[in-house]
Amino acid sequence: MPITFQKLTHEYNAGTPFSYLALDHIDLNLQEGKITAIIGETGSGKSTLVQHLNALLLPTEGSLKILDREISASEKPKHLKSLRKHVGLVFQFPEYQLFEETIAKDIAFGPKNFGASEEEALQRAKDVITLVGLDESYLERSPFELSGGQKRRVAIAGILAMDPDILVLDEPAAGLDPQGAKEMMELFVRLHTEFHKTIFIVTHDMEHVLRYCDEVVVMDHGHVKTTCSVSSFFQDPSILKEMGIHPPAVVSLRESLREVGFEIDASILTMEQLAQAVAKEVGHHE
Amino acid sequence: MNNIALGRYLPLDSCIHRLDPRAKIIALILMMVAIFLPAGWIGYALLGCAVLCLTVLAKLKMNFLWRSMKPMMFMLVFLLIINLFMLQNGTILFEIGSFPIYSDAVFQTLYITVRLMLMIILTTVLTATTKPLDLTLGIEHLLSPFKVIHLPAHEIAMMISIALRFIPTLIEETQRIMKAQASRGVDMEEGKLKEKIMSILSLIVPLFVSAFQHADDLANAMEARGYVPDRTRTRYKQLHMHIGDYVIFAICFLILGGLLVFLWI
Repeated sequence: MPITFQKLTHEYNAGTPFSYLALDHIDLNLQEGKITAIIGETGSGKSTLVQHLNALLLPTEGSLKILDREISASEKPKHLKSLRKHVGLVFQFPEYQLFEETIAKDIAFGPKNFGASEEEALQRAKDVITLVGLDESYLERSPFELSGGQKRRVAIAGILAMDPDILVLDEPAAGLDPQGAKEMMELFVRLHTEFHKTIFIVTHDMEHVLRYCDEVVVMDHGHVKTTCSVSSFFQDPSILKEMGIHPPAVVSLRESLREVGFEIDASILTMEQLAQAVAKEVGHHE
Repeated sequence: MNNIALGRYLPLDSCIHRLDPRAKIIALILMMVAIFLPAGWIGYALLGCAVLCLTVLAKLKMNFLWRSMKPMMFMLVFLLIINLFMLQNGTILFEIGSFPIYSDAVFQTLYITVRLMLMIILTTVLTATTKPLDLTLGIEHLLSPFKVIHLPAHEIAMMISIALRFIPTLIEETQRIMKAQASRGVDMEEGKLKEKIMSILSLIVPLFVSAFQHADDLANAMEARGYVPDRTRTRYKQLHMHIGDYVIFAICFLILGGLLVFLWI
């Protein structure tokens, strides 16, 4: 079942001199069972958009259909907790949400809030800690002794332990080193392929969008500018250029080659294919 | 949480805004003393008029003052209840059930209410018309004579200005952590007592961690720029007293003196 935004508007501090229209009558269909990237400039409404998915923010106008729920501005929704169990949201810099004495307890905090018993919750903690690339010896340590990257893994494990169907991540790789960012993204791909999670990732990194995502939503000043598949999105990098975003290396090399007259298919999206196409072109002219 | 009025600076342009912060702080202290004199209703009527004139001069709206007073409402109700039980003198005004309400209790509460209201309005006028940085600069200047007895005037002023600077940051952080924990199933409104304590803990601990983190970063940044607290520093902003500032002093002294004379007779 798709997630449907209908004329959804969100205005911060509505009715005060500080009011700010973050989302302006958004109409959007998001498919389940995909990895969807949400991109756009700072202040374009990406974070506001994703915070509606688990009803942390409620629409000031319009409505949102997600899973079997409908959240609309006209009525005050109840039992939001049940929605939040199914839609796990990982904030930007989630390491700041750690608070327990041990990592095991911190990861178990979410499941326990959603009604799991102590043993179940600790078992979940054991399961997910290895999933995020740490081993069980960490469980009894304090989360505050860890490095920044490790803390973030623990924080993400805390959301995964809730076993949500939909996982929403707000810039999960921000501030990580390239290797850490790569491992992080590969974790999400694994969650998608092995555990069939629907994943939404807010990101600025076009390389990640190209390599790991299926669909892309482009936000611009509170509106949805485009929504399409990643492969068709990178066939025509004019939107990227217009928004001042650097295209991925493959795409920018492909476009530069096309500009100087190479006859290369615009649907090529990997270095290998591009190398073959260039070799073929060069072969023709020898 | 974004519409807290108490202590917020309003960037307007009025003659009160242009006064020297030192003059405003001293005037506030004088008026506070005046408010605490047992001046009777006539005295309070006089003070009330003066305060009203002041708010009009400062271009503050009643709505804004009302919002800054709202957090105090709870305290006032609490005071009224305590007074009703404690003060059982004077004449009985009326009875609720079989519980007598005495006139003294009502008058005492009214007294305290008027005093508190005047105090809140005055401090709101000060904070609403003075930029936080000017305010701390004023405090530093006023405290500097006490350097003779080794009072760290500059350090105190710096601490106050840092504290003021980080209030909005901490509010923002609180909201972010609340949202993050709500995503993990924390329900701040519902739940049993144990769950509620847990939910507060899940907010307080990260907030402290990040506050210490901020403090650490700020200390490093200040040191990196060569900040040494006990060195004398030059200032871009120099404070100068003008005629208006002396007029304010004169008015405050007149009010205070007038009330004292009134009490003497």
